[in-house]
Amino acid sequence: MWLSKKIRYHFMKDLGVPGIMRFSRTGKKRRPRKKSTSLGPPLVCNSRLRELMATHYLLSRYAQGAIPVAWVTSGAPVEILRPFDFYTFYPENHGALCGAQKLGPELCAEAEVHGYHQDLCSYARIDLGHYFSGKTPVGRLPKPDLLFASNNICQTVVYWYKALAEYWKIPLILFDTPYNFGEISEVDISYMVRQLEEMIPVLEQISKRRFRYRRFQEIVGIAKEASLTWGEVLSTMKARPSPMTIFDAFNHLAPIVSLRGLPAALEHYRALLAELEERVAHGVGAVKDERWRLMWDNIAIWYKMRDFSNLFAGRGMNFVTATYTNAWSETIGYLDEAKPFESMAKAYSLVILNNNLNHRLQLMERLIQEFQVDGLVIHSARSCKPYSVGQYDLKRLVTERMEIPTVVIEADITDSRAYSEEQAMVRLEAFFEVLEG
Amino acid sequence: MTGFHSPSHKEYLLKQREVYGRHIFGVFPAQYPRELLWAMNILPVEIWDPPLDTSHASAHLQSYICSIVRFGLEFIVQGKGDILDGFLFPHTCDSIQNLSSIVNDYLKPGKPCYFFYHPKCPYRESSHRFYIDQLRDLAAQLGDQVGELDYNQFKQCIEKGEKVASLMRELYSLRASGGLSASNVEFYRTIRQGEFLHPDDLIPRLEKFLENSRGSQASETSVIMSGVLPNPPEILALLDELKIRVGDDDLLACGRRYLVPPSQAKDPFEALAERYFHMPPCTTRNSPIRGRLEDLINKVEGSNAKGVIFWIVKFCEPELFDMPHLIEGLKKRGLPTLVIDVEPNQELTGQLTTRIEAFGEMIR
Repeated sequence: MWLSKKIRYHFMKDLGVPGIMRFSRTGKKRRPRKKSTSLGPPLVCNSRLRELMATHYLLSRYAQGAIPVAWVTSGAPVEILRPFDFYTFYPENHGALCGAQKLGPELCAEAEVHGYHQDLCSYARIDLGHYFSGKTPVGRLPKPDLLFASNNICQTVVYWYKALAEYWKIPLILFDTPYNFGEISEVDISYMVRQLEEMIPVLEQISKRRFRYRRFQEIVGIAKEASLTWGEVLSTMKARPSPMTIFDAFNHLAPIVSLRGLPAALEHYRALLAELEERVAHGVGAVKDERWRLMWDNIAIWYKMRDFSNLFAGRGMNFVTATYTNAWSETIGYLDEAKPFESMAKAYSLVILNNNLNHRLQLMERLIQEFQVDGLVIHSARSCKPYSVGQYDLKRLVTERMEIPTVVIEADITDSRAYSEEQAMVRLEAFFEVLEG
Repeated sequence: MTGFHSPSHKEYLLKQREVYGRHIFGVFPAQYPRELLWAMNILPVEIWDPPLDTSHASAHLQSYICSIVRFGLEFIVQGKGDILDGFLFPHTCDSIQNLSSIVNDYLKPGKPCYFFYHPKCPYRESSHRFYIDQLRDLAAQLGDQVGELDYNQFKQCIEKGEKVASLMRELYSLRASGGLSASNVEFYRTIRQGEFLHPDDLIPRLEKFLENSRGSQASETSVIMSGVLPNPPEILALLDELKIRVGDDDLLACGRRYLVPPSQAKDPFEALAERYFHMPPCTTRNSPIRGRLEDLINKVEGSNAKGVIFWIVKFCEPELFDMPHLIEGLKKRGLPTLVIDVEPNQELTGQLTTRIEAFGEMIR
């Protein structure tokens, strides 16, 4: 690492970027969006979130060459990287950002030109499209020194990171989490613990830093606290009316994905929780006339967030829970600073997508009851096989067992070319009819 | 040669049960310890591409799920697995992973379902220990249904597995050097019998095939096949017509599993582990792309191939992700490539025929 880059990075971290953020607060105001008559007041914490993530992306530009940079999958146990001071960057979060800004097709097409098939995950295609073209809405992404993946969310991330490792000629570390066909076993846990232990000398070599066990324990503690607070944030949506929508939650998911184990994520969720509790206390709903409460299954359709938010709110419908947002709070209770390795093995391998479909069904039933859900919208995401394969049976079983209307929308997370508005609306209209009786 | 005809699957399987008291298990692709199953008097019958109309499976699976998964589910939904005593699902990819759960958790086929998770690359010391643990765990689970694993039997089956592997290596080696007279169709029809024959039947068949097929190959031009499985076989027949020999393959159902180097380990569990970790590079084990490219180039050089055909099953993510890199690496070495994106059991279209013919012309 170059000394000049280190100095520049620390200057930007401590003074430069905070200064830019202060200036942007007092400077140009965001153009007010057209207000929806169906939605309640926007969250004050939205601007806090924008600033937090803008800081993260802006600072990442200065990290390259100053401190070790790792690109990490959303389900990987990032806590083990933090004692080595890795700057962590999340391509899936970047993919979602590109999707929300409707840049998915353009970036995917860049990867397709280089032979990546249109049937492949669009997060991966966006990322590979960025690799080939350098295009990104955030200016520039830091080149990684390390790729860190876990297949607890899918095997796809490993195929994708293997390609990146080959292009960049950098190491790829995999945290291999045996899929839970049934219950997790001691053999599985031992295997994962040993993998974490084996990573340490490799990480020491790449980062040129020593592993600090006490620091690691502290980070595990911070990550746990942040995830529990995120869980409390989501729980506020049990209130009637719910103080936020799942579309807000999709946005506020970014810190728990990208900044897990850092104090900034915890601080953000504490502020958000306080705001939501205040709203609940005063009966402020995210949807003005909340008559129906819905659950969302699968990753968001990022390019349809605003449209869907307005569409559902206009009918007095509010999404109050989602299997996706729940994923970053569901298993985190296993984390234990006293047993960081064992507890991380459980917390990371018991996540929804690494668990059998019976587990998913039971989780959905629990959420439906706890959040008093009236209907279920299932996003069949072309990009995400582990989330989508089995959804047709889940739909049938939830309909039968919970006696609520359900609908499947065929779409994709970021590639709008795989989405037909007409087809989706036909299905949704039928769903609305059943729901509204 | 060869005049070899495979027996009807069902007749064969029924005989296995009636005469030898074997338990018949349906096994999904791709990597699993066959020798362990044989040792427990289980005959694994692999479910890759049963020729079925998959309309029932469409009620359970989206249109963007690969046909191997679709065929497998259709097989179960149509009750074709009624003669089986159980199912084994190796952890091959995201889609087969979820298929296993659809079957076990939702459809409940009334048969025991077993699962086998094999560790993924990059391998470390922990991977080796875990693999052995997984083997022992599978043996213990199966033991509850079919009786305890007999250690001596296990050792014998390891030897039988080694015999199968050595015959496969010899067949592949002869073919690569142009010393096998069998057509492409005959070759794959024969070796794919390894998907359901007991080694006591497979070994003599392979030996006979080898004996009858020694001789120079009429086709001078050789290609390498990479992908999942050689189906539809009409493509092989077309290559035969065009006098193009498949000199070697990197097919998941074939070369990637059959070309296992011999093991020196005395302990049968260790022997299986050694084989697993020394198999040719494969997408389903997350092998690094560089290793796959080197392996392909070795195959090209070893069989004097003039090009590589990627025979891809639609929507197969593991294969599709590696392909751009492999194609780029092969092109850098001046090797032409052809990508065939085709469904198993699909009829050969005129367009596909023309593309293969044009590729044949180009490499000649």
